[in-house]
Amino acid sequence: MNRKISSFFIIQSVIGSVILLVFLIVPVTGLSGDVSQDIGPLPKIKAPGPERAALGKLLFFDLRLSGDANLSCASCHHPDKGWTDGNELSAAYPGSKYFRNTQTILNMAYKRYFYWDGRLTGKDRATQVRDKITETHFMNLDGRLMQERLKQVPEYVARFKKAFGGEPSFGKTLKAIAAFEQTLISQNVPFDSAKISEEAQKGLDLFKGKAGCIQCHNGPMFSDFEPYKLGVPEHPELFTDPERATTFRSVLKFLGVPNFENLRKDPGFFIVSKLKKDFGKFLTPSLREVSRTAPYMHNGTIATLEDVVDFKNRGGGEGSELKPLNLSADEKKALVAFLNSLSGDEITVDPPKIPEYQVIANWRKMPN
Amino acid sequence: MSRNRSKLQFFGKGLVPLLAAISITLVGIASNAGESQFPNLVALPGPPIPADNQQTPQKVELGKLLFFDARLGGDVSTSCASCHNPEIGWTDGQDICRGYPGTSHWRNCQTIINAAYWDKLFWAGASRSLESQARGAARGAVAGNGEDDLMEERLRQIPEYVKRFKGVFGTERPEIFDAWRAIAAFERTLVQRDTPFDKYMNGDKKAMSQDAIKGMALFKGKADCIQCHNGPLLTDQKYYNLGVPENEIFDEEPLKQITFRFEQYAKGVSEEIYRKTKSDLGLYYRSKRHKDMGKFRTPSLRYLEYTSPYMHNGVFWTPEEIIDFYNDGGGEDVIKKTFGHTTKTKLLKPLNLTDEEKEQLLAFLESLSGEEIIIAAPALPPYGIDRGDGLKVEVKK
Repeated sequence: MNRKISSFFIIQSVIGSVILLVFLIVPVTGLSGDVSQDIGPLPKIKAPGPERAALGKLLFFDLRLSGDANLSCASCHHPDKGWTDGNELSAAYPGSKYFRNTQTILNMAYKRYFYWDGRLTGKDRATQVRDKITETHFMNLDGRLMQERLKQVPEYVARFKKAFGGEPSFGKTLKAIAAFEQTLISQNVPFDSAKISEEAQKGLDLFKGKAGCIQCHNGPMFSDFEPYKLGVPEHPELFTDPERATTFRSVLKFLGVPNFENLRKDPGFFIVSKLKKDFGKFLTPSLREVSRTAPYMHNGTIATLEDVVDFKNRGGGEGSELKPLNLSADEKKALVAFLNSLSGDEITVDPPKIPEYQVIANWRKMPN
Repeated sequence: MSRNRSKLQFFGKGLVPLLAAISITLVGIASNAGESQFPNLVALPGPPIPADNQQTPQKVELGKLLFFDARLGGDVSTSCASCHNPEIGWTDGQDICRGYPGTSHWRNCQTIINAAYWDKLFWAGASRSLESQARGAARGAVAGNGEDDLMEERLRQIPEYVKRFKGVFGTERPEIFDAWRAIAAFERTLVQRDTPFDKYMNGDKKAMSQDAIKGMALFKGKADCIQCHNGPLLTDQKYYNLGVPENEIFDEEPLKQITFRFEQYAKGVSEEIYRKTKSDLGLYYRSKRHKDMGKFRTPSLRYLEYTSPYMHNGVFWTPEEIIDFYNDGGGEDVIKKTFGHTTKTKLLKPLNLTDEEKEQLLAFLESLSGEEIIIAAPALPPYGIDRGDGLKVEVKK
């Protein structure tokens, strides 16, 4: 054999193996190298202005931020239910019902993308608030009317002046609510202070090792905010509840999903990319406070953390990217113990007293 | 030779209708001779039907269902009939219309009866057609607060509507714009052509009382209402500021103040006017010309008996109040007070009517309303469910 050729082949195969290894390792470890350092406490972020956050808290609970004054943000993001509504599928504006699970407001400031299909960037929390307030099926309020409602409440006028230096406006309202959300951050999380039980420690090892959860549930939020297909089955009520069916179609129509009239599955990330390969993919949710936000998955079809672990152990559902894990009963329990260690103190607030409208006395002489 | 002959024939053919038109006009003017030069009061003809939305019984029936269906709106609580209630003269009987839950409207809601005859709809003529008005009202923030995409999908979830829309419009799935067409077709059947006045004008000289006949003469003469209230609809469809007093409800109720400001903002006035005005500027919002501030469209006087209260802000609760208002020569110009220039029409002057004359005018106004037109709310078709084998209504066991 020609020596040059054989050494050439050897070099080729070495390079090839390295490349192959890189392709095997990189998806597992991420490009950043050692992932055991990837999960960790939340980085400190600047606290919002206290005036703005206090104003935002009132607005968060104010029913008048919906068209017919029946719903507030808190109606679906209830402080006593982990800032969700505890349902499988979220409620929506009267006459509609939503087709996905409510996500928690906790730690919103750290999310890279919003919504299960990731259609909104996490950098723009004001727009996420705007979406919720003005969307037909959420709170259905015209922003111009909202502004005028707020101007009719003397306490709001005073607070907006103090917090922003001006009169109530659409944009400032969004910022105030976003500021309030920024105060809802996990506190005293056992995992963050490295004070977890032995069983939870075993769970952590499995999380990083045999169970491989860390492949997607990484970073300080325990989520890479990337879309994956797990084959979660569709929620039966998606089409057996007429109001849910109409909401599903009208949202997909608005977002420009082709063939929305005939879809019987939630397209997920396809809505954003419009690529066939992304059909049925949903973003990795954060695992922080996860013990508080049952039921689970984009459509709430998995009721408990034990059930989630079982689901992952099976390798997910039809068309899933996951592989079966072969976890023992003890290993599953350890994983759940670890997941529970990601919840800190319960963060709740008492619903504040909402200031009322007042008639503007001497209306004809006052500027609008 | 042949060319000259055909010219003569052409003129001959054109001449007859031309002469007829001239003579009819002359007759019309002659019958008004000595009074005014306005289109005469006449019996109501059939309503205009647009070429692209012809009437059929099926379309009218569908439109009737939709008129009463609150699913054409935001929170499924408010249908067209909520503010245009057949049992309240097809209005809501209030000075300021109720609007959407959680908010209020800011003007008096007008009747649907004879709406088919309007060139434009709303007090400032903001909509060009019944179809456009239906859509505008269904989507308005203080009216129906609905949105096209969702309303359309609700229609598509109702098997009965899917069937009917297909039958009327030929679509596989209901399209929301066809809903407005159907509603407009239904509204075009809500006309009243058999009032005592119409019967009288059509030859039944006993249909109107003597007082009403005298009232009509005053209407065309001393009171000169016919300057604006003319033609078969008793409106010239033009816009005037009469000095209608403000409705004090705006000084008293927070929801009214909210909507007032919202309307300035939504209709796109300048910052200066947004801050300053406390008067409804009417036609100004469309024309953006200062001379149009405070002008509202002459209403029809037909069906008046059932559509109290009156004016764009509902300040007059009885026809007597209206007659007194005109007898005074209208009211103070609120536009002059706020903006310094007057837009009040010069057509109004104190009338010096005697009590008897007022009674006669009232009798004439009464003759412009016939029997009350009431339609019972129909049963509305339910949603269906598609379990994968087609949309069906499921009967609960």
